[in-house]
Amino acid sequence: MAVAAAAAAARIWGSSRGLGQAGLLLLRRPGAWGLARSLPQRRAQQHFPSLDDKPQFPGASAEFVDKLEFIQPNVISGIPVYRVMDRQGQIINPSEDPHLPQEKVLKFYKSMTLLNTMDRILYESQRQGRISFYMTNYGEEGTHVGSAAALDNTDLVFGQYREAAVGAAYAAKRANANRVVICYFGEGAASEGDAHAGFNFAATLECPIIFFCRNNGYAISTPTSEQYRGDGIAARGPGYGIMSIRVDGNDVFAVYNATKEARRRAVAENQPFLIEAMTYRIGHHSTSDDSSAYRSVDEVSYWDKQDHPISRLRHHLQGRGWWDEEQEKAWRKQSRKKVMEAFEQAERKPKPSPSLLFSDVYQEMPPQLRKQQEALARHLQTYGEHYPLDHFEK
Amino acid sequence: MAALAALAATVGGLLRLRAAGAEGQWRRLRGAGLLRGLLQPDSATGVAAQRRHVAHFTFQPDPEPQEYGQTQKMNLFQAITSALDNSLAKDPTAVIFGEDVAFGGVFRCTVGLRDKYGKDRVFNTPLCEQGIVGFGIGVAVTGATAIAEIQFADYIFPAFDQIVNEAAKYRYRSGDLFNCGSLTIRAPWGCVGHGALYHSQSPEAFFAHCPGIKVVVPRSPFQAKGLLLSCIEDKNPCIFFEPKILYRAAVEQVPVEPYNIPLSQAEVIQEGSDVTLVAWGTQVHVIREVASMAQEKLGVSCEVIDLRTILPWDMDTVCKSVIKTGRLLISHEAPLTGGFASEISSTVQEECFLNLEAPISRVCGYDTPFPHIFEPFYIPDKWKCYDALRKMINY
Repeated sequence: MAVAAAAAAARIWGSSRGLGQAGLLLLRRPGAWGLARSLPQRRAQQHFPSLDDKPQFPGASAEFVDKLEFIQPNVISGIPVYRVMDRQGQIINPSEDPHLPQEKVLKFYKSMTLLNTMDRILYESQRQGRISFYMTNYGEEGTHVGSAAALDNTDLVFGQYREAAVGAAYAAKRANANRVVICYFGEGAASEGDAHAGFNFAATLECPIIFFCRNNGYAISTPTSEQYRGDGIAARGPGYGIMSIRVDGNDVFAVYNATKEARRRAVAENQPFLIEAMTYRIGHHSTSDDSSAYRSVDEVSYWDKQDHPISRLRHHLQGRGWWDEEQEKAWRKQSRKKVMEAFEQAERKPKPSPSLLFSDVYQEMPPQLRKQQEALARHLQTYGEHYPLDHFEK
Repeated sequence: MAALAALAATVGGLLRLRAAGAEGQWRRLRGAGLLRGLLQPDSATGVAAQRRHVAHFTFQPDPEPQEYGQTQKMNLFQAITSALDNSLAKDPTAVIFGEDVAFGGVFRCTVGLRDKYGKDRVFNTPLCEQGIVGFGIGVAVTGATAIAEIQFADYIFPAFDQIVNEAAKYRYRSGDLFNCGSLTIRAPWGCVGHGALYHSQSPEAFFAHCPGIKVVVPRSPFQAKGLLLSCIEDKNPCIFFEPKILYRAAVEQVPVEPYNIPLSQAEVIQEGSDVTLVAWGTQVHVIREVASMAQEKLGVSCEVIDLRTILPWDMDTVCKSVIKTGRLLISHEAPLTGGFASEISSTVQEECFLNLEAPISRVCGYDTPFPHIFEPFYIPDKWKCYDALRKMINY
C-alpha cells in the first residue's frame, strides 16, 4: 500500500520531490513487492549510486550503521566539572587564572559576604514576623556573583521566564545592541516545558543568550535523582545543538571564566550557551520549608564546612595577602550595619495607597476597573476600621 | 493496488472539495466509475446523497469606506496581509513569527512578507505554542513589536500559562517598570464547516477572565484590518481572533493605507427599537439575517450590535441599547455554560433590570466539544436565533 502510494506520488511530483527518492529506493528493491516489473522501463534505468553511501534524510546527516546498538546514556562519567581553584583556593592550572585585579576580587568577596549577611538578617526578620517570606542564597553565592561579574551593565537579566529571555535576545540581536541575555533557573525549573521551548527556540533562531542553570541538588524536597535520569542539565544542551559546559558553582573564578567566554561568543556568534553550575543549597528552600524533613544535618554540614564558595575565595584572598582576620572582622560589622540600616529605613515607610491595587493592569485604566476602584474607596469609607489602613498611604 | 491508490487519491480529492466548496467539481466526480459504489442518487437507494451543506451565514459586506483613501477589493486574509504589511513598513522593530508563516501561512495571511521584509523579520518557529508566546513576550519586553501567530485558536492552550500568568501580568507585577504591550497574538477562530473538535473552537471566554490582555474579534475584512492595526499599536498585549470561515468568503473594499478602528467600542450596525441582538465575528452575519427575518415575518425591529472587543468590552453601548429596546439576545458559537454571553447577560441585568421586558436570551453552542459530523446541528444558526427571538417577543 505504501509502495503504491509512493509510486503514485512519484508520478505526480516527479522523482526529485520529497517522497520521490525514498519511495524510489523502496521500488528498486527486487522481489519482495514484485512491483518493479509493473513500472515503466524508464524508472528501472535511473541510477543513484550516492544513495547507498550516505543517508539523504532532511532530518539528520549521520552515517549509516548496520549493527543494532542503542546509545547508552552516560551518567557515571558524564560531562566533567570545570574548576579553576581547588578547595583551598589555590589556582590549579595557571593558564586558567583570570588574573583579575585585587580590587575586583575584593568586590567579589564583599558582594558574596554582604549577600550572606543580608540573608541571615532577613531570614531572622521573617521568623520575627517582620516580613512575610524569604528565600536565602546560602551556598550559591559563587554562582550569582561569578556570573554577574562577567556581564556588561547593559545586559538583560531574566531570573526565570526562559522563553521570554530568548525573545529578548532575538530582539537584542536584531537591534545590533551588543547585549547578551542571561536567564537563571534551577535544575528543577529545567524540567518545565518552557525550558525545552526556550532551548529549542534559542538554537533554531540563533539568539545571543546564556542559559545559566544552578544545579543545587534539590527542588524544595525533590532530590536530583527524582528530577531527572540523564547526566544533569548540561547534557541536554547538545541535544538542542547548544554549546554547553558544566562548572563548579562553588568556584567563583570558574563561574566567572565560563560566563565571560560564553558572553563573548554568544554576542559575536549569535548562538546560545548553556552553563550548568553545580553547587549545593545549604539553606532551606524558603522560610516555609524545614529541610531536616528530607535530608540529613550531616550532609548540609559537609557543604557548609568543607566546600563553601565564600570560604574558598577567602582562602584564595588570604593566600595572596589581599585579606586578613582584622579586615574580616571589620567588614562583618560594617556589612551588618549596612543591612540593618536599610532594613529599618524600609520598615518605617508606609505601604502604597490601596487605590494602586487597580493600576498598571493595562497601560490605561478601563472604565470597569475605575468603577471597581471607586467601589473599594466607598467601601473603605464605611468599613475602613476592619482593614490595616494605618500601614498604608492614603 | 493501483485501484486502491486511485481510490485514496479520490477520497483525498473529495475531502479537499468539501473544503473548497465547489459544487461544479463535485458533480463531475460523481460520474467517476469508482464512486458509484459509494454514492447513489436518491432514486437508487432511498438514502439522500452526501451533499455539502450550504454555509450557515451570508457575508454582508459594509459599504465602501470613503474616509481612508484608495480602496481595493480584499478578502479577509488579504486584509490581514495588508495590515501586517503596513505594520512592518512603518515599524522597523516589528517581527512576525509562528508555525509556517515563512512560506505565507496555512491560511495565506503572511504571503509575500518574508520576501519583502527579510528572513529576520518573518520567520518560522519550532512547533511549540508556549514557546511562540513566551518568545513573543520577550521580544515585546525589549520594546520591539511582536506579532505572533498561533496556527489555530484550538492550539492556544499550551500557551495559556504564558498568556495569563506572564503576558497579562507583566506590567502589573513590575509596577509598570516593564511591560509586553507591543505583543499581539493572532489565531484563526470559529467554525468552518468541517473543522471538528480541534479546528473550530472559539476560546474567547477563557481569556475574557484574564485582566491585563485585550481580546478582539472582527466580522469582516475592513473591520479586521483596522482592528488588527489597533491591536498591534495598542500598548497592552492583545489576542486577535480571525474567523477562518471568512478568510475567503468575506470580500469587500478595504483601504490600502493603514487606518485604525478603536478597541473596546462596540458598533451598532443596524438601529432598531424592539430587540437588541449582540454577537461578534461570523455570528454577526447570522444575527443580521435574523434581524431581516424578524422584520419580514414578525414586524419586529432589531438593533444589531457587533461587540468587536470582548475584553475590555463596551458595556455602555450594549446597555444603552437594551434600555431602549427592553430585550436582549446574545449569540455565539462557543458553548453556553461560561460563554461570554453569560458575562454580558449578568452585567445587563444588573444595570438595566427595570428596563427588561423579557429574560435575556442566549443562543449558543451546546455544552459539548465542537462536533465533527453534527456541526449543522450544533451551531447557533439563524433558525435557533429566530426561534429564541420569537419567544422573547411573545414573553
